[in-house]
Amino acid sequence: MGAQRMQRTLLSLVLRLLLLCTVATGKCSGKYHELLLQLQRQADLMQDPSTLLDPYIHLQGLHSPVLQEHCRERPGDFPSEDALWRLSRQDFLQTLNTTLGLILRMLSALQQDLPEAAHQQAEMNVRGFGNNIHCMAQLLRGSSDPKAAEPTQPGPGPTPLPPTPPSSTFQRKLRNCGFLRGYHRFMRTAGQVLRGWGERQGRSRRHSPCRALKRGARRTQPFPEIRRLAPRGQPPGSLWGAPAR
Amino acid sequence: MPTLIVCEDANPNSPDCIYTGELIVPCAHIHPESSVVQLGSNFTAVCVLKEKCMDDYHVTANDIFWKTGRVPVPYEQYSVINRTASSVTFPNITLINALLTCNIRMFGQINRSVYGIRIISGLPPEKPKNLSCIVNEGKKMMCQWDPGRETYLETNYTLKSEWATEKFDDCKAKRDTPTSCTVDYPPVYFVNIEVWVEAENALGKVTSDHINFDPVDKVKLNPPHILSVNSSKELSSILKLTWTDSRFKSFITLKYDIQYRTKDASTWNQVPPEDTSSTRSSFTVQDLKPFTEYVFRIRCMKEDGKGYWSDWSEEASGITYEDRPSKAPNFWYKIEPSHAHGTRSIQLKWKTLPPFEANGKILDYEVTLTKWKSHSQNYTVKDTKLTVNLTNDRYVATLTARNLVGKSDASVLTIPAWDFQATHPITDLKAFPKDNVLWVEWTAPNESVNRYILEWCVLSDKSPCIPDWQQEDGTVHRTYLRGNLVESKCYLITVTPVYDDGPGSPKHIKAYLKQAAPSRGPTVRTKKVGKNEAVLEWDHLPIDVQNGFIRNYTIFYRTVIGNEIAVNVDSSHTEYTLSSLTSDTLYMVRMAAYTDEGGKDGPEFTFTTPKFAQGEIEAIVVPVCLAFLLTTLLGVLFCFNKRDLIKKHIWPNVPDPSKSHIAQWSPHTPPRHFNSKDQMYPDGNFTDVSVVEIEANDKKPFPEDLKSLDLFKKEKVNTEGHSSGIGGSSCMSSSRPSISSSDENESAQNTSSTVQYSTVVHSGYRHQVPSVQVFSRSESTQPLLDSEERPEDLQLVDNVDGSDGILPRQRYFKQNCSQHETSPDISHFERSQQVSSVNEEDFVRLKQQQISDHISQPYGSGKMKMFQEVPAVDAFGPGIEGQVERFETVGMEDAVDEGMPKSYLPQTVRRGGYMPQ
Repeated sequence: MGAQRMQRTLLSLVLRLLLLCTVATGKCSGKYHELLLQLQRQADLMQDPSTLLDPYIHLQGLHSPVLQEHCRERPGDFPSEDALWRLSRQDFLQTLNTTLGLILRMLSALQQDLPEAAHQQAEMNVRGFGNNIHCMAQLLRGSSDPKAAEPTQPGPGPTPLPPTPPSSTFQRKLRNCGFLRGYHRFMRTAGQVLRGWGERQGRSRRHSPCRALKRGARRTQPFPEIRRLAPRGQPPGSLWGAPAR
Repeated sequence: MPTLIVCEDANPNSPDCIYTGELIVPCAHIHPESSVVQLGSNFTAVCVLKEKCMDDYHVTANDIFWKTGRVPVPYEQYSVINRTASSVTFPNITLINALLTCNIRMFGQINRSVYGIRIISGLPPEKPKNLSCIVNEGKKMMCQWDPGRETYLETNYTLKSEWATEKFDDCKAKRDTPTSCTVDYPPVYFVNIEVWVEAENALGKVTSDHINFDPVDKVKLNPPHILSVNSSKELSSILKLTWTDSRFKSFITLKYDIQYRTKDASTWNQVPPEDTSSTRSSFTVQDLKPFTEYVFRIRCMKEDGKGYWSDWSEEASGITYEDRPSKAPNFWYKIEPSHAHGTRSIQLKWKTLPPFEANGKILDYEVTLTKWKSHSQNYTVKDTKLTVNLTNDRYVATLTARNLVGKSDASVLTIPAWDFQATHPITDLKAFPKDNVLWVEWTAPNESVNRYILEWCVLSDKSPCIPDWQQEDGTVHRTYLRGNLVESKCYLITVTPVYDDGPGSPKHIKAYLKQAAPSRGPTVRTKKVGKNEAVLEWDHLPIDVQNGFIRNYTIFYRTVIGNEIAVNVDSSHTEYTLSSLTSDTLYMVRMAAYTDEGGKDGPEFTFTTPKFAQGEIEAIVVPVCLAFLLTTLLGVLFCFNKRDLIKKHIWPNVPDPSKSHIAQWSPHTPPRHFNSKDQMYPDGNFTDVSVVEIEANDKKPFPEDLKSLDLFKKEKVNTEGHSSGIGGSSCMSSSRPSISSSDENESAQNTSSTVQYSTVVHSGYRHQVPSVQVFSRSESTQPLLDSEERPEDLQLVDNVDGSDGILPRQRYFKQNCSQHETSPDISHFERSQQVSSVNEEDFVRLKQQQISDHISQPYGSGKMKMFQEVPAVDAFGPGIEGQVERFETVGMEDAVDEGMPKSYLPQTVRRGGYMPQ
């Protein structure tokens, strides 16, 4: 009898696991790999300078080689690649979330300095990326992925803050240019990290989220940093909840 | 929404309102106010009257009646709820959009509308189906759906979309495009979005199924842009295609669809999809034809097949490199007339290679002519024909085409000797149009055929036959003519098999690419028209107007009032006989010629059938004439036979007393006279004959009557042809002398029933003025007595010839002209005297005999006789006077006997004074 009861319990757990692996969580995709692939491609799409930096340089007249020499990412605007690699998945997602909030604020500030279509598309891309981060976090939250609970490394360094207003317009342009360059670099790095997730996932399939689900999910607060990093005057949560314009 | 009925013209009598002087106050209201009703449902409305109106107009709910528009609702649908309220129920509402009014009847006769609502029926929206979205690269997402059934109501469709973290603004479909909507935010790829549609109208709201997708899976990429199409000098069968495409290829894997075709082709060839199933920017297309221009196009989509194919790129073209001609040119010859003895003028001709066989630009052709066991003659020609003079021997000609890369294989043609006899023709040659080309089919001969030569030309009466030609392989027995053939033209097609030793016998056939109705119809005419039939004839239509094979003719003919009759005639005929026609009728006839594609009428021709058939008139007239002639003849014969009877009744003999004289009866008349008479009339018909004998004495002159006769003969010579005496005019003998001898006079008196007296006017003979008027005519038929005339005669005679003392005492009026010329011989004279007393009938017979005898004599001889007699009369001169006096005596006696009954016999005989002995 005890053995039979054990078998029933195991069967029930397996069925529940399979069910959880395929059922979508809200509007998010319930498929980890699909979601991960979306994040990777989003990162690839957003790291393309032609989507934001190039229109800005072209519009602001910064396309001379000399000026482009000064269009450099300022250290500290975005987390470094090493830092990102050291982060756990949850922390990485939280860091991404925080940085995306910063980028949104910056894009809002640059609305007049960018082509409208490019600005609108970039803003939507950032928001969409945040949506996928939310979904991934939600997905990971429901799993017991050990990698997701590996806050073994320290944080990504100084908290990125919105760039301070420069003293002159030219300086501001260069500053914004450098910020946008940093943005693309950051997205490229994020994409690499995300691709690393897929590679590691391929190397150790035992640590798949679905398998971890059987061990119970660790409930984590999804991206509390986003509220903390929300720009002043913007209500918390508006990054993800505000209707698109 | 309640509807207040107001009087716009403030007319108190308006049926739609109550006018209170200042304000329009509804007297009632209707429940429910909502007026949208679902189709097929029951609808009940209640009209509640206000107390004031009820008091003012003394009405209750019983006075309420309903109208839809201006049509009253039947009372069966009413229900009086209480004193103030009345309801109306419409079961199973149909499609309606009308005004429902509550009306009252005041004072039992005045109707007024007191309230109204508009009823609109419709259906709630159906759940939208087949929701799908598309994201055109660089544009915003557009979704479309199937709204379902017609609602008949204003229905709003709203496209809703949201992410997991946020909702987007609604996308409201426009009125004119209620089945689609384009969102106003840019698409965000790689982020799942949930989309659904809400449909809402007055009767309800419904939501479609939600769809959740990544917009990148609904993307329709921009088409690639072809950069170049390059050929390879080393390989003439490839072209390399390079392009640029969407920046999406950096993020997603694309697959391509490449199509190509030759420049002139309309169908595309497909590059195998498995060769282009990954992201790339170039592709080399193989197995192409040399020196051929190809056109390419390309499109792309996500490699996983999600989404949509992009539009086709703009077409780009490239030309493969040249290769040596792949086929020998078609080669043929024509023998042209040559004046030189022992040589022939041969025109060699060949076809330019089509591009797919030329494989490049043909630079020139090389022709080699080889006679049996002789050296070759080489020619390099840029044209497609070569004319050479050859001997009558057998030749072998070869032809090659050369381009930049090399030469083609040689085409070999045997030109047989001049005395070569072509044999072995093809059989069963057929030609027929199909698929807008003219096909030719034949049965190959039993012998091995190298190839076939097909020649064709347009047959025309206006232009010569200029042949075009083509060549087919020896294995072919069916092909189509690859020339610029036109419709409605007759082509003469010739198929010639070509053997090793020369051409075989040609075969010919005519064909049309497409037939049409003739350009004009045949002109019909009549060849012969009969009473009941007509032979029509026409000419064959010229080949230029036939436009097809004339299958048959149709002859339409009709009368003015009759129905048209059609007769089909085989096309080989040029003549047709219409039968069973009506005589004496106008016919209109026209003719149509028909091909397989229709016919064409010719001009109308009219003809009239005759009233009688040929010979019919003759068949009627000739018998009638014959009958008339026969009748006439019979009548004449009858009259002739009965002439005595007729004469007795119509024309009794009246003796002329003036011609009577007292005969000298000789009691010694020799019996020979009677013998003579017997000799003359041997039949013995003479009865009651009185014979007057005139004694012939050589010493004595002739009796007086004979003298007078001679005198008349003299005058007659002078007036010949100019007398118009009674006998002359009435007896159609005017050209003859009207003077006769005494015996003639007597015979005339015996045969005439009437005696007319006239004056013979001497107008002269042959322009000679007559010297005297000898006779004057009298219309009286009364016989003249000699005594009555004699004084005048004497006077006239005196005037005529005063020197001549001898005057004729008697003038004879010729009554019967049957004897114009008096024979002077004695026997005749004697016979006349005998006739004077014989039977009249016999006498007439005798006279006729004399006439016939006399007519048988030449007229001139008679005249000559008379002239010859003149001297003889003169010779009697001395004895004439005595005779005259004796005649006068007789005449006096006639005058004395005037009161006696008239007799035409001599008076002396009747009185018995002198009886013949």
